[in-house]
Amino acid sequence: MNNHLSDDQITEWVLGTRDEFVRRHLETCDACSREAEGLRRTISSFRDSIHATAQRDQSFWRNQQLAIREQVPGRDWYPLHWAWAVAMVMVLIAAVFLTRPPNSPRNNATEDADKVLLQEVQRDLGREVPQALAPAVLIAEERDEILTNKVIRQTETTLKKRR
Amino acid sequence: MVQNEQAAVLNPVQQKAGLGMTARDDFTPLVQSHQQRIYRVLLGMVRDPDAAQTLTQECFLKAYQKRASFRGEATVGVWLLKIAVNLARDHRRSRLREFWHRLSSSSEEVADLGQRLPDPHASPERVLLGCEEVAGVWSAVEKLSPQQRAVFILRFVEEMSLEEIAEATSLKVGTVKTHLFRAVHAVRQRLKGGRAGE
Repeated sequence: MNNHLSDDQITEWVLGTRDEFVRRHLETCDACSREAEGLRRTISSFRDSIHATAQRDQSFWRNQQLAIREQVPGRDWYPLHWAWAVAMVMVLIAAVFLTRPPNSPRNNATEDADKVLLQEVQRDLGREVPQALAPAVLIAEERDEILTNKVIRQTETTLKKRR
Repeated sequence: MVQNEQAAVLNPVQQKAGLGMTARDDFTPLVQSHQQRIYRVLLGMVRDPDAAQTLTQECFLKAYQKRASFRGEATVGVWLLKIAVNLARDHRRSRLREFWHRLSSSSEEVADLGQRLPDPHASPERVLLGCEEVAGVWSAVEKLSPQQRAVFILRFVEEMSLEEIAEATSLKVGTVKTHLFRAVHAVRQRLKGGRAGE
C-alpha cells in the first residue's frame, strides 16, 4: 500500500479534525497509524514535561503571592474618595464660619474709628493741596499779590510820566 | 496612580470575576487561583523558569492595574492569559534580553526541561527516546513565531478551545487554526529531521 496519508492529513488528525477517509486509512495502515500516534504521544509528553517543570512546592507559590502582594498598592485613592475628602474639607470650613462668635462692642468701636479715618483720608485726597503744604501756598499767594501790585504801580507810574 | 484612578468604577461583571478589590488583601485569592496556570504558560512561552516567575508577577500586577478594562466577554482566567501572552511576546521581543538569553541558554537547559518526564516506570530506552523527542518539541517550539508558540502552548499544554485561544491571543478563530496547523507541522518536521539524523 503506497498511498499513505499526507503530512497535512496527519497534522489535521492530531489537531482533532475527524475525517472519515483518514479514520479508515489509519485503521488499516500501520505506518500512518504509528506516525499519527507517535506525534500525538510526543506532544502529550511535551505537555507532561511542562506540567512537571511547572510543579513547584508550596513555598514557591507563597513567595510569589507575597511578591505580588508587595507590588500591589495598599489602597487606591479613587476619585470618589477624593470627592469625599473635598466635601469633608468644605464642611469643616463651613463649620468654622458658622460657629464663629458674633461681633463684640469693641469690634463696633474699631469699625467706627476705621470709618472716621477713612473719611479723613477721603477729605485729604479731595484737597487741591495737601494740608502740610497749606502755609507754603499762603506765602506763594501773598507773594503773587505783592508782585501783581508792584507791576500795577509801575504801570501807573509809567503812564503818568508819558502824560 | 492614573491607572488606579481609571480603575475606580468596576461593573458587576468585574466585581463577580473577583476584580472588585480595592486593597491588596482582596487580590490574593485571584492570584492563588490562577498563578500556577499563568506560570506554566509563561514557562512554555519563554522557556526560562526565572523569567516565567518574574513575568507571572508582572501579569498579576498588570491585571490589578487594568482590572477596569475587564469586560467579562471571556473568563477572568482567559483574560489573565491574554495579559500573560502579551508579556511573553514583549519579553521575547527584547533583543538585548534575547541576546543574553541565547548566551546563557545552552542545550543543557533544553535537555533539562526535556528530562522532566513524569513517567518513572517507563523503560530506560523509552525514557531516553521520550526525552529526546520532548527536547525536540521544545526546540521546535522555540523556533516558532510568538503567536504560533502561544497558540501551540494554549492548545496542547492548557487544552483550551479554539475560541478561548482566539480570545487570549486577540486572533480570529480561523487564524488560530492556521497558526496551530503550522506549529504542529513545524514540530512534526523537526521530529522527523531528528529521527532521520539518528
